[in-house]
Amino acid sequence: MSTAQTPATAAELPRAITSKRAVGLQSRYIKDRLARYVVLVGGLGVIGALLLIFVYLAQEVAPLFQGAHVEKRKTFALPGAAGRTLYLSAEEQGEIGMRAADDGGVTFFDLNTGDVRATQMLPLGERKLLSVASLSSERGMLAAGLDDGSVLVFSHEYKVTYPDDKRLITPGLGYPRGPTPMAFASGPITELAVREEGDTLMLVGADATGTLNLKVFAKQTDLFGETTFTESPALRFTPDVKPDVLLLEPTLHWLYVIDRAAGKIAFYELDGAEKPELVEVKQAGASITSARYLAGGISIVLAQADGKVTQWFPARHGEEGTWYLARVREFSVHEGSKVTAIGPEQRRRGFAVGDESGHVSLYYATSGNRVYDEKMFDQAIERIVFNPRARVMLVQAVDGTLRVNEVHNEHPEVSFSSLWQKTWYESYDEPAYLYQSSSASSDFEPKFSLTPLMVGTLKGAFYAMIFAIPIAVLGAIFTANFMSPEMRQIVKPSVEVLAALPSVILGFLAGLWLAPFVETNLPGVFLTLLFLPVSIPLFGYLWSRMPRALRLRVPAGWEAALLIPVIAFVVWACFAAAKPVEALAFGGNMQTWMDHTLGIGYIQRNSLVVGIAMGIAVIPVIFSIAEDAIFSVPKHLSLGSLALGATPWQTLIGVVLPTASPGIFSAIMIGLGRAVGETMIVLMATGNTAVMDFGLFSGMRTLAANVAVEMPESEVGSTHFRLLFLAGLTLFLFTFVLNTFAETVRSRLRRKYSSL
Amino acid sequence: MTGVQDRTPITHGFDIEAMQRERSGVNLEDETIALEVDNLDLYYGEKKALKSVTMKIPQKKVTAFIGPSGCGKSTLLRCFNRMNDLIDGCRTTGQIRLEGKNIFDRDVDVAMLRRRVGMVFQKPNPFPKSIYENVAYGLRLAGVNKKRVLDETVEWALKGAALWDEAKDRLEDSALGLSGGQQQRLVIARAIAIHPDVILLDEPCSALDPISTLKVEELINELKKDYTIVIVTHNMQQAARVSDYTAFMYVGDLIEYGSTDQLFTKPSKKQTEDYITGRYG
Repeated sequence: MSTAQTPATAAELPRAITSKRAVGLQSRYIKDRLARYVVLVGGLGVIGALLLIFVYLAQEVAPLFQGAHVEKRKTFALPGAAGRTLYLSAEEQGEIGMRAADDGGVTFFDLNTGDVRATQMLPLGERKLLSVASLSSERGMLAAGLDDGSVLVFSHEYKVTYPDDKRLITPGLGYPRGPTPMAFASGPITELAVREEGDTLMLVGADATGTLNLKVFAKQTDLFGETTFTESPALRFTPDVKPDVLLLEPTLHWLYVIDRAAGKIAFYELDGAEKPELVEVKQAGASITSARYLAGGISIVLAQADGKVTQWFPARHGEEGTWYLARVREFSVHEGSKVTAIGPEQRRRGFAVGDESGHVSLYYATSGNRVYDEKMFDQAIERIVFNPRARVMLVQAVDGTLRVNEVHNEHPEVSFSSLWQKTWYESYDEPAYLYQSSSASSDFEPKFSLTPLMVGTLKGAFYAMIFAIPIAVLGAIFTANFMSPEMRQIVKPSVEVLAALPSVILGFLAGLWLAPFVETNLPGVFLTLLFLPVSIPLFGYLWSRMPRALRLRVPAGWEAALLIPVIAFVVWACFAAAKPVEALAFGGNMQTWMDHTLGIGYIQRNSLVVGIAMGIAVIPVIFSIAEDAIFSVPKHLSLGSLALGATPWQTLIGVVLPTASPGIFSAIMIGLGRAVGETMIVLMATGNTAVMDFGLFSGMRTLAANVAVEMPESEVGSTHFRLLFLAGLTLFLFTFVLNTFAETVRSRLRRKYSSL
Repeated sequence: MTGVQDRTPITHGFDIEAMQRERSGVNLEDETIALEVDNLDLYYGEKKALKSVTMKIPQKKVTAFIGPSGCGKSTLLRCFNRMNDLIDGCRTTGQIRLEGKNIFDRDVDVAMLRRRVGMVFQKPNPFPKSIYENVAYGLRLAGVNKKRVLDETVEWALKGAALWDEAKDRLEDSALGLSGGQQQRLVIARAIAIHPDVILLDEPCSALDPISTLKVEELINELKKDYTIVIVTHNMQQAARVSDYTAFMYVGDLIEYGSTDQLFTKPSKKQTEDYITGRYG
């Protein structure tokens, strides 16, 4: 007893309930407060981080939906000598403008000041200039129609040098086909259309009599590198409508002859130097005031006297795919005001429209958007021209005043309709949901519909959940409720370890092993999917019929282990039976049979593969949470049910599952969230084609995979770049809405079934 | 005890003296026997928890099991409806006969046995459902689905458990909103709704406040008119108040079993006397 401590007497312990120091200064209160603030900061930090992500995404996306704005740089009278302006353009940097007049003079002028920088005369001799047509806007090549029926091809070129580290642009003229005009027609050419495709140059011109002349110049290089120029005989024919405007397709397939007053378009199919074949004549309505090709050379835009602006391109219809000229969309303009000028951009499907009241509006064809509108003059607009980068817009009024504008129009391609609704894209026969952000050609029409990506996301998640929910939830029920504790201790952590498997590994297993395996063993896979779920309950039933002595040999809760050989056998049997079944029922090859009989094409990397692979990724998530929920149902509830004479099954259905339902529901929702946001597996196990069907045997492209695939190759700040952010934001909002919904349902369930 | 009289509309306050008078003449030899325990041994793994217990539980009487913690009284109670089957490594030898039929026989359907032998646990365990559904749960399990039959039985059972007046206006409310004592009476209503022969009460009042305890005790007194009741209790006063017969158990042995009156006033064993006088336990 001597070594034992004397217990503290009451007198030794502090007794006073008031403290000498202020309560807040005592160290335990300081700790208490500190802990509270640390926790508070942590919690607010999470919310703040989430908000910041949202704000960042929204900030990157916002410019997509801001309209364009246009600033006036300078207004001045058209420089150069008097005479009718036949052609006007601005070069790449927006520094120098070019004007070609009917006297054959080409004037280069400064777009900042309006001063003339250089004037050159075309080598016309005695001939006069009647019309100028653009041959190739990228190379600045023009063709001039002369009064003796000949055509001079010339180009306006801008040499950029950097003397004293300052940019200096020196304009000049070039003659790629020599300074001598080429003989074309016999009379003066009033309207000219010229295009060059490869080595072929085609000229179509209308003369004063309304007759069309067509001529093809070709360059041929033989084996020894010798070049010869050939020239077809001029073809003369009378078109079906009066040729006021000629539009020649860049690849020399189509020719449009437009009768302004009658409002008619004659649509011809070309075949080299042969006589063009009329496809159809379209009546557009009121008289046509202007008609231009959009960039890319597929769509034409018509403006009419009643103020209508419409887009047209060739499309096919019917079984045989006969061509017709489709009126694709109409743009909303100032009603009733006569449109006098159309100015297309050179690299995008945008264009500007000017009308007789002096209004100029910017449009984008694909999205159907009007992105800008301003009254620039008090008189009619005669001509609108963009520089190649569409950053400078020249607007010329009828009296020859020129207004130079800076255009900030970064993202006209995106609108609600182009993102989520069917859009009729060029070269397609009908409106469709399409996603194609880039292409080999630089002047293609980007297709930015997020609908197929959304469909792909939901499709992948759907098939994954179909595969995962039954296995995970039933597995969780069995593990929590019926499995012996020792076996549960092995099974639960093993399944949870699966969740730690990097999805890229599942992805390449799915893409490189599972996809070819499923393709070669399709009937076997189907037989397994069919018979495995049947064989397990069947075995359970047979087992319950076994003699008691045999059944008692297996310890309670370990019966599941008996299924391992059963499953192995069923899988083996299904694959063994696959060949004969395929031979008997599917005529030897199931894929061919599906293709021929059901009309379902088989794609190797399909939803079936993704469903299985992503299902495996999702199963541990659902299993773990659902198992916890079921296992944590208080024992006294199930005992209460059993004591009322319920069988274990009745207890499960009547008491355990309803009580665990909030947990099971949130497990499924978290699994769905994982499936929706999963990137690597869908990226690697699908073909990443943005298709719109829900079929089991077709692939998909999901929002997440799309961002992963395209982000490295998108130009920072471009529409494409921001669109990827929009895809990310959509995904974010989608999971946010999904989780909010899930949480609402879960809290309602929990109120209803909260246990003691 | 008479103070609660005005608060309890269904039963009346105890008159312990009258009860003792009524019980003084009881004799186990004269009773009809509901359950017969014959040489029952029970093992948890290697540990023997019940040692050759032999006793007879009389019909439509209250039999109390008392004894210190861990003496096996709850284990014995759980044998009557084979709830011990759910415990891993628990096995029994010997017999318990319900109306002459050994309940451990292989042809006995455990679910049916539990319908005949109902049980109420220490902690109230209503299901997270409405009051109505709690009472109807056992009936639905038994295949009763007619709305009219369910309605009548629920009302009858709630009246039988002295809960009808408190619950009749909130039958569709969650049972979890009831107080502890109400929940325990609801659980009793749930048990009697399927018309059992025997009701096992495993320390039914240990989680309840005194007033709720009193109500449940009154209820037990009412219920014994129709049911055989076996109650495990830590509270000797409660055993003395509510039971007709009392068994004293100690470390798996049934030490003494007889009429409550006799056991509490003239115990025949030294151990019993030591326990009821408070020397240990």
